[in-house]
Amino acid sequence: MTCMYELANMAKKQRGKSASSSKTANIKHQTDHFSLMLESSDDEAPEEVTFEDSKAEALRSMKQALDTARREKEQLKEKRRKRQELFQEQKKRKLLPADVLEEIDSAPSKTQKQCQEEADEEQQEAEEDEQRKKKRKRSGKLAHARNLKGNYTVQTAKERDSASFQQQAAEDFLQSRMYGPGSCRTTSNELLSLQNKTGRNKSAAVQFVKKDWACNEKAKAEKLKKRWVHKQQIPSC
Amino acid sequence: MTKKQRKFSDRKEKKTEVKMGEFKVHRVRFFDYMPTAIRAMAFNSRTERLALARADGALEIFNFADNYFQEKVIPGQDGRAVEALCWVGQRLFSAGLNGEITEYDLENLRPRYTVEAYGGPIWTISSNSHGTLLAVGCEDGTVKMFEILEERIQFQRNLDRQKGRIISLSWHPSGTLIAAGMMDMIRIFDAETGRATHRLLVERGVGASKSKEVVVWSIVFLSDHTIVSGDSAGKVQIWDGVTGTLVRTHLVTKWDVLALSVSKDESSLVAGTSEGTVVQFQFISSTVDQQDKEWVRTRTFKNHSHDVRALAHTETAVVSGGMDTQLVVRPLLEKVEKNTQESALRKMTLPHRSLVCCAKKAGLLLFQFPDHLELWRLGESDGHGKPGDSLPVKRKPEKLIQLKRKGEDHICCSALSPCGGWLAYSTVTSFRLYRLQNNNISVTKVSKLPKDLRWAHQLCFSPDSSKLFASSSHSSVIVIALNQPECKYLHTLKPKSGSRQPVHLLFASEDGKWLATANADCEIHVYNLDKLKLHCTVPVYSSCPTAIAIHPTTSNLVAVHADQQIFEFSLVQKEYTEWSRKLQKQGLHSLWLERDTPITRVAFNPKNPAHIILHDMFMFCIIDQSLPLPEAKTPFYNQITLRSLPEPQRLVHSHAFKICKNFQHLMCVSLLEDHSLVVVERPLLNIMSQLPAPVRQKKFAT
Repeated sequence: MTCMYELANMAKKQRGKSASSSKTANIKHQTDHFSLMLESSDDEAPEEVTFEDSKAEALRSMKQALDTARREKEQLKEKRRKRQELFQEQKKRKLLPADVLEEIDSAPSKTQKQCQEEADEEQQEAEEDEQRKKKRKRSGKLAHARNLKGNYTVQTAKERDSASFQQQAAEDFLQSRMYGPGSCRTTSNELLSLQNKTGRNKSAAVQFVKKDWACNEKAKAEKLKKRWVHKQQIPSC
Repeated sequence: MTKKQRKFSDRKEKKTEVKMGEFKVHRVRFFDYMPTAIRAMAFNSRTERLALARADGALEIFNFADNYFQEKVIPGQDGRAVEALCWVGQRLFSAGLNGEITEYDLENLRPRYTVEAYGGPIWTISSNSHGTLLAVGCEDGTVKMFEILEERIQFQRNLDRQKGRIISLSWHPSGTLIAAGMMDMIRIFDAETGRATHRLLVERGVGASKSKEVVVWSIVFLSDHTIVSGDSAGKVQIWDGVTGTLVRTHLVTKWDVLALSVSKDESSLVAGTSEGTVVQFQFISSTVDQQDKEWVRTRTFKNHSHDVRALAHTETAVVSGGMDTQLVVRPLLEKVEKNTQESALRKMTLPHRSLVCCAKKAGLLLFQFPDHLELWRLGESDGHGKPGDSLPVKRKPEKLIQLKRKGEDHICCSALSPCGGWLAYSTVTSFRLYRLQNNNISVTKVSKLPKDLRWAHQLCFSPDSSKLFASSSHSSVIVIALNQPECKYLHTLKPKSGSRQPVHLLFASEDGKWLATANADCEIHVYNLDKLKLHCTVPVYSSCPTAIAIHPTTSNLVAVHADQQIFEFSLVQKEYTEWSRKLQKQGLHSLWLERDTPITRVAFNPKNPAHIILHDMFMFCIIDQSLPLPEAKTPFYNQITLRSLPEPQRLVHSHAFKICKNFQHLMCVSLLEDHSLVVVERPLLNIMSQLPAPVRQKKFAT
């Protein structure tokens, strides 16, 4: 019996807010109609859910859904904005060392300005994202400071960290191009075993021919086998 | 090469008795030597030297005119990831992922200086044909030009900065244009203005690789403005450099084309792939008239099991090297005489110098690795048996000490004193000496070292362990006296020739009277250690010596050269011995001369003064000077036939060269004081099993 009311509510929800108001009258009429019919045919009285209540609930849930959608959109926007900022920051930072080098070659007054800029940058960085590796590099800069005439200080960025980071990135690039996904590689075991199989004097795969091939794995396999056999024997006895 | 501790599973030591002279043989297979992959190479056609760079930063120079002898080795350095090499006249430059350009001092076997390029990792380096400018391709998308000055290089300018990394470079022979291979494209630069004039778009691979950028790994700019490129989609493409259009595409492999090299006359080009094949293209015409020449794919060589990363095209051969660590020289049959020594395929697998030091009195072995040293005690066996038997091992060989080097530079040379009490090693920047005590278990560093001895190319202890000889700059040798627990500088021995080349061989005689040295100028000098001055210089032979030794009783110097010639020189009489003249007159047997690996050690047998024990990678040989020399027509490898003959007939058919091929691949053959032979083997299968992953080839029915 209650299913009829639920059906009507479901139908109303599906039709949406705008449709519901116009059809309310009809449905109300219909539900009334149903209730009359059912009341007469059934013993149990159906749950009294007033139309207003269910309408309000439907509206509420729809509003909630819209709200969550809007919130998610805003979150994504926020993320995108932050990432854009990060890239711009990195781009700016990338350009800066070249500037510093050029400026160091020219008048010393400019170096002071550069250092000032860098110091400002450093402060800015300190306030911002802590995760930047270059920031860590900069903080070690003080060890390589040299004092020129007057109040000018020339500081070399500690290139070591970033150099090894770049070197590692380049090596990773090579590694991924040659051995990464899509490189279609096999093991030296397979290569040598194929050579054994297709050679003049055919023999077994290399892990059987060469006694000390992968002895760690073989020892592990032995242990597992013993354990399995032991396990099998327990229920039997 | 991982840093994990490897279990020395091959600790079994077999004792095999060998028929000739009845030796007990310690068969050692626990030297876990792993060669490093070849990353780059460059051939200098004027001096006929090939420079090779390995993945650990080590550099090797091979003399192609002297039977492909590995003349010089510059040890590697942590972090010096060399990606490219370049000869400029006699000068050698390298560039690597550490962002530095290094020039090498080939006389002192070390880097001369390094220059930061400030462009991030450097992928390629190339000089123009005039030798005035050096161009490097960097990770940040710039091609940087450096002026090559007399003692250094100086940054000149950057070419137009590009959006992707510059992976490969090639100068046009005129020096006006540069072709650069990048990701997904090729750029042509005007070298004078620095502007990028053309952009050639390289097609990506099909299927799954369509989403990956295609990397133009290698590029060649020919004089007729043709550009040939090899990329990661497996294509070799021919471009017209003037119009910037694609002429022809050759799909050579399913994997990457990693290297390209063109011959000097631009008639032949080779491409190296990840499959281990080297594909040759030749500029020929398909019709009889020579008008319409084009690049046609001709031969395919499969001499490698792993990726071919470096190629060089000499006038007569194709030289290739890659991840399987072997250097292969494949002579081109139309350039050399067929079926001769010249036309044979050459493979260089193990180094041409000894990495094993044997302490004769103490029964110890010292193994030299680039980053550490290992000291092992040989096992013992009581048993007796027939020739060819494996004797039971009473005490297993054990590793006593593993000594890690300090600093970034790799170990250049090492030595162990015969008594087992002293251990020394040197890098290009530092020298260290250690005292071994308590039955060789404890190691104490000798801290006060003479300041004249800062590094050494070669080290050698005197047989009575009282002196240490260290070869230093310009063929000089520093003599150090070893007094417990310190050491004192004694003298510097210098040759009269004033040679600037480094000494690569040192030998101190048993009686402590003589010291023989050999350098890369093919000079052999002998010094009198009692007087501490030069005794004599052996007449210079055109081939470089690969092993020298002084006989304990006769004081005859035996020298073996890269072309397999053997000489015996009497130090007392200062002239060649009778036997040596006889050998030269008769000539060595052709099978001996055809061997393609050099003799790296000469030893003598205390029990039989007429014996000389030599070995190369595939065999060891006992030369019996009392027996007649083999004629050209006599079968050379006759040991097996001799064994089948009855005893009295054997003497009739024997000749002086007794060769044993039971043990392979040999790294050291030495004689201990108790007259047992130590044979250090490194089977190639053990090396191959530890190489990185090869490509997966789908073969029918497998």
